[in-house]
Amino acid sequence: MAAARRNPWVPVAGLAALAAWPLLEPALPAWLQLGEPLTEVFVYAILALGLNVLTGFTGLLNLGVAAFAAIGAYAYSIATCEVYPFQLGFWPALAVTGAVGAIAGFALGAPTLRVRGDYLAIVTLGFGEIVKDVLVNLDAITKGTQGINPLPPPSILGTPLEARGQYWLYLGFVAATFLGVRALERSRVGRAWISIREDELASRAMGIRPDRAKMLAFATCAALAALSGALLVSRLSSSGEPSNYGFEVSIIALCIVIVGGIGSVRGTLLGAFVMVGMNSIVLVRLTEVLGSGAEGMAAAAPAADAGAPAHAWHFVRTWAHNVLLTPTNWKFLLFGLALVLMMIFRPQGILPPRAVHEDPPAPAPPGGGEAHA
Amino acid sequence: MLRAAAAAEQLAILALARADSVPSFAADGALSPPEVFSQQLVTGLSNGMIIALIAIGYTMVYGIVELINFAHGDLCMLGAFFALTAVGAFALDGASGAGGVVGLVALLVATAAFCGALNWSINRLAYRPLRSASKLSLLVAAIGASFVLVNLGLFWGGLPMEVFAGGTSAAAPKAFPALVEPKPAFTVGDVIVSRPDVLVLAVTVPLMLALTWLVRFTKLGKAMRAVAQNPVAAALMGIDVERVIGATFFIGGALGGFATVVYSIYNQTVGFQMGYRMGMDAFIAAVLGGIGNLPGAVLGGLVIGVVRAMSDGYVEARWTNAIVFGILILILVFRPSGLLGAKLREKV
Amino acid sequence: MSAILEVKDVTMRFGGLVANERVSLAVHPGEIFAVIGPNGAGKTTLFNAITGIYEPTEGDVLFEGKPIRREWTAADRVRGLAVGATSAAAAVLALNATALWTAAINDRYVMGEPFPWGGALATVPATLRDAGFWPTWFAAAAAFLVGRLAFGAIWRAQRRTPDLVARAGIARTFQNIRLFGEMNLVENVLVGMDQHFRSGYWACLFRTPGFRRERGRMRRRAFELLQFVDLADEAAEPARSLPYGHQRRLEIARALATRPRLILLDEPAAGMNPAESADLMKLIRRIRESGVTVVLIEHDMKVVMGISDRIAVLQYGKKIAEGTPEAIRNDPVCVAAYLGTEELG
Repeated sequence: MAAARRNPWVPVAGLAALAAWPLLEPALPAWLQLGEPLTEVFVYAILALGLNVLTGFTGLLNLGVAAFAAIGAYAYSIATCEVYPFQLGFWPALAVTGAVGAIAGFALGAPTLRVRGDYLAIVTLGFGEIVKDVLVNLDAITKGTQGINPLPPPSILGTPLEARGQYWLYLGFVAATFLGVRALERSRVGRAWISIREDELASRAMGIRPDRAKMLAFATCAALAALSGALLVSRLSSSGEPSNYGFEVSIIALCIVIVGGIGSVRGTLLGAFVMVGMNSIVLVRLTEVLGSGAEGMAAAAPAADAGAPAHAWHFVRTWAHNVLLTPTNWKFLLFGLALVLMMIFRPQGILPPRAVHEDPPAPAPPGGGEAHA
Repeated sequence: MLRAAAAAEQLAILALARADSVPSFAADGALSPPEVFSQQLVTGLSNGMIIALIAIGYTMVYGIVELINFAHGDLCMLGAFFALTAVGAFALDGASGAGGVVGLVALLVATAAFCGALNWSINRLAYRPLRSASKLSLLVAAIGASFVLVNLGLFWGGLPMEVFAGGTSAAAPKAFPALVEPKPAFTVGDVIVSRPDVLVLAVTVPLMLALTWLVRFTKLGKAMRAVAQNPVAAALMGIDVERVIGATFFIGGALGGFATVVYSIYNQTVGFQMGYRMGMDAFIAAVLGGIGNLPGAVLGGLVIGVVRAMSDGYVEARWTNAIVFGILILILVFRPSGLLGAKLREKV
Repeated sequence: MSAILEVKDVTMRFGGLVANERVSLAVHPGEIFAVIGPNGAGKTTLFNAITGIYEPTEGDVLFEGKPIRREWTAADRVRGLAVGATSAAAAVLALNATALWTAAINDRYVMGEPFPWGGALATVPATLRDAGFWPTWFAAAAAFLVGRLAFGAIWRAQRRTPDLVARAGIARTFQNIRLFGEMNLVENVLVGMDQHFRSGYWACLFRTPGFRRERGRMRRRAFELLQFVDLADEAAEPARSLPYGHQRRLEIARALATRPRLILLDEPAAGMNPAESADLMKLIRRIRESGVTVVLIEHDMKVVMGISDRIAVLQYGKKIAEGTPEAIRNDPVCVAAYLGTEELG
């Protein structure tokens, strides 16, 4: 089993390639200028790594992870924006965001410890809705639908970072999150989470306290999601409006985890590139390419509207112009089909979690044959 | 982050529509007279009956395959679009008198058939291959199906038809013609019962009675109850389990189809994101009553409808969703199996 | 002689079904005690009642003379009040969030000028006063009640949970094996050792030197336990790939990892061939020699008669006999209970 060891150079090479990308960009054609969308991929990757802790490791389906991102985004915005008196710097504000996120995780986790399975999914979904509504309704604090801006950009030692610096910083955050989540997975904390997912009763009977473990999972998930929210808004320099953190974001995060491989840290990372890459790079580029074609359609469409009997071809052409020819309009279909097809044909995801995390101790005691292959 | 603009637009329009139909009694700060309470009660009960009809679709499917059919609300949304298309294609909004009634009945039946068939197909394509998979996989597939339906709704809204405002803004909410005019039908004291209220009763009550009869007294109903209790034993007794499950999906979908027509007439707005809201209310109703429990779903629907109306009237409409979800969370914390639900015990 | 486990008049009722009726047992330290009886006699239900999976409808379970049950202590009272007070404060803050924020921040902050921090909190009492006495206090009282009741409900649901029982020193295995199939053998055992780890969340996150040392120590101990049950060769395999008999032994190793003083084995020999069950008997004796008292449910009479010091016989939820293997074998009531199903010894 353990023979399926991964080549340790794969992640290093991947990281190096990603780190080198901005340096290569000037030499690349326009459609490969991916710094911007890749930074978005990084933000989603952190969100999904957080969700993977709760849903992947612990088996608690969370359909409201975007709410934690919203809480983080607003905590960061309020902590840093000049229209509030706090005006913390980037790093202290991130620390505050993480703490606020963890508290929000506890606040949702504590009352729902007894709620299980699919009911919990609906409660988390409701939590997502409540947070969104509250952020809109408390407009005296959150500026409602206007959003909070301007926000200071990410900085290191007081030096604001431009796009390329942000790219590297965010890549660093992804790498750190990856290592941290994997460290947890391979420790007693992660083992407790996974044992609860596999069989809560058996793990209880072995002395694991599921309540504590679940609370830790909630807090970890929420803190990481909040971090991703803070990173998102600090880059955009605006909190955006609360409806930006809706059900759809939660589902994209869930898609990432499921497509990548539920419970798999590497898979989640890969899933972020596949799903967000599809959404923010492929669909957007396609829309740009088709844009000129759609313009041509537009020229034909008014004539169809004005002309008396709508010819079938005109009907279809107008319809195509209205929605079908805009690839970004297909994204729900894409995400939905991804979920359904993955569940049917490859429920374990592209890169399923490795079954074996703990090796037997290195010094082989006498008598017991050596076990690693 | 992707459908932000569309959602905000729709929220604004829905808020405007609400503000017209529901006077805010909290605004003037005066204590509301009892008639106002009764009036809100009528609105709440009418909405509650619609919610209950949709909730039955959730609860039936949950009872038989233990799946929260996440796509159910969006199925209803497509039903509304189907109905709106039919209204446009056959100019049903122009008909009046006997023709209008016939048209309305035909619309109800056609939409129910459409939703039933669609629900049956979704089960066949997306859920049936997952019969032996984990409950979580099934739920995730349902969420996926829901997203596919939402996207189909977006496409449908872009149809270049007059009823869809030419389809130029596919994502925008569409006006649904008032096939039953919102005029007072009769009054009880000072409380006005409108014609749409009567429509709601006339559609939902017979359907619920018919469903009760079907589940209690027909062979299919008996088979459904058998499969819900123990699919393996039912199969051993010669029941075609898959056929029964398919029938359940069809019936649940059809009830949603009836409900969505009434809902659209009652609320006069449809949009490709309405399914989420409808589905949530109905699902909460089903949970409230104890999921898998038919009378519970009706009770839960009425409670949710009334709570929404009271919250709109006495608190503020913008807090209503938060209040409803807050109630859901409280119920699940204190009574995890719902008001009428039986306590489940894990087999060890 | 004082009993390590005392089951006193335990009755388990599920609706109309009585699974155990006034069952009493006393297990002495260092014993191997067997519970036998036909299928459906309520043996596993009794184990579930002992380990906190079920709460006995009537009767008590005493471990080392004491019930394993959380008592409502002064600390719990304080915690309950604290939860209530926190929810009350949260409710008041939430209901007046806009007013509080406006008075403390928006009305007093001018962009670009230094913010008078000192006065911010001073605005709170006035704002709450303006909010009106009744709405505020009503909300506070209601939220306090909800928070306190929720705490009570959760506390009550957790008075005697399986994890509490496991931590008190009773470990068990399951009749229908409940291993963590995706984990390997070492990890399965490490789950059982969880309560003996000292490194916390942060140590695990940052992989501190202390964490690494402890991890090495624990892995070695887990491996020793696997050697004890003779599974060391398969230590790196996922549990689900093991043959049935090995899975049963892995469950025993996992249970022993909790360092129990009493271990409950639910049909440990089920599905084993004669050679395997002979090994199992040796293993059970070694467990007893290591100082752990053993209670087992078993259908294999060779095993039961071969290793038990004393045997209790259940039928239809009631204890019909108790005594040494010799006495049970010669008890006409027990023989009758088993007649036509299995042969005693």
